[in-house]
Amino acid sequence: MLTEVHVPDDVDAAVRLVSSGARALGGGTSLMPWLNDYASPPTELVSLRRAGLARIDVAGEAVTIGAATTLAQVEQDERLEILNPVVRSIASVPVRNLATVGGNLFARQPHGDLAVALVALDARVTLVGADGSRELPAGDDLPPFIVTRVAFALPAAGTFRYVKAARRRWNSASIVTVAAVVTESDGVVTAARVALGGVGPRVVRAHAVEAALVGGPLTEQAIGVAAEAGRSELAPADDAYASAWYRARVFPVHLRRALLGR
Amino acid sequence: MSVKIVNLKVNGVDKAFMARPETTLLLALREQLGLMGAKRGCAQGACGSCTVLLDGAPVVSCLVPAATVDGGDVATVEGLADGRRLSDVQQAFIDGFATQCGFCTPGMIMSAEALLARNPDPTADEVNEAISGNVCRCTGYAPIVSAILDAAQRRRERAEGADQEATL
Repeated sequence: MLTEVHVPDDVDAAVRLVSSGARALGGGTSLMPWLNDYASPPTELVSLRRAGLARIDVAGEAVTIGAATTLAQVEQDERLEILNPVVRSIASVPVRNLATVGGNLFARQPHGDLAVALVALDARVTLVGADGSRELPAGDDLPPFIVTRVAFALPAAGTFRYVKAARRRWNSASIVTVAAVVTESDGVVTAARVALGGVGPRVVRAHAVEAALVGGPLTEQAIGVAAEAGRSELAPADDAYASAWYRARVFPVHLRRALLGR
Repeated sequence: MSVKIVNLKVNGVDKAFMARPETTLLLALREQLGLMGAKRGCAQGACGSCTVLLDGAPVVSCLVPAATVDGGDVATVEGLADGRRLSDVQQAFIDGFATQCGFCTPGMIMSAEALLARNPDPTADEVNEAISGNVCRCTGYAPIVSAILDAAQRRRERAEGADQEATL
């Protein structure tokens, strides 16, 4: 049950309200379904809609996205072309017009595909609490503070890869999501950051896959070896979308499709 | 608990109402403003039957606390017809048998109107993406997609006709 809805004009007021027990509300697409059942405990909300956190800044390679920026705003921003397939793979149009970038960091797997991409992009998350602000890497457990922005550097052209396998083309949760930034030089992988969604209770940074890829050519065989190395990092769940067995079984296929495009 | 006065422009008309904390945009439209077009289906943002346009963009109004959108501009299915003349999308839904029980129809139509406002000549695939948040359990979707493509064509032809008239 909702007992109060605050709509503060600035972040400081929002921080004070969260410090006194209210819950931060981004687009409401995760929290409101839970509150709409009339059986939830008394809850006070702080909407971030008017707190000045909905903006996208791109300066050279440096991208900063305010936490209350909607997924639709990201989708429509030509400077963030690399994130267009990511956000369009999430939910539906009338949900993306509400759902926010900051909120996606708290979405529970197998949702939260933007968070998977942000881990691959080595994004930093800025949070503000009563004792000041702090910065954490995307993918870390976030304390119950207010996220104000995420920041990352645009990767070199052609190095970002993203594939989401789902049961339907649009508006379906992840079976396996692969996001990666892979740098090659003279036919050899020199650097790789690989993040996975749908295969664990949280976004997985696939260190073993990365280690297996670096130093060799990006071939079907090398990716097969890397996928095998990555199996130990997967902890998939059975849910309405796919079985744990199926997720583990098709992971190598989607890793290959993400990295080779076929 | 506090009750707030919320101001909205709804279908072009200024409205004000009292919102309790649990008053969503959908509840305000239905119970305070008497606009029954948008439906409460799942109340989870999954079925799309409550879709209305908020500042021009389709949203699932069941997930929007009314107090958070004070001052906003809302368009619902009730505002589409010009007197007794239905919008192209509404008429195409009737002509193409794109509605059966009708529960999803207002949401479908608002998603379609938003698509055609930014993309006058969509492909079938673009229509699929635009209505991917609107569940229909009757039609199997094919007549709905056809009706939206038909409405797009009617609108383009009307726009061309208006252009020709302007040059005559």
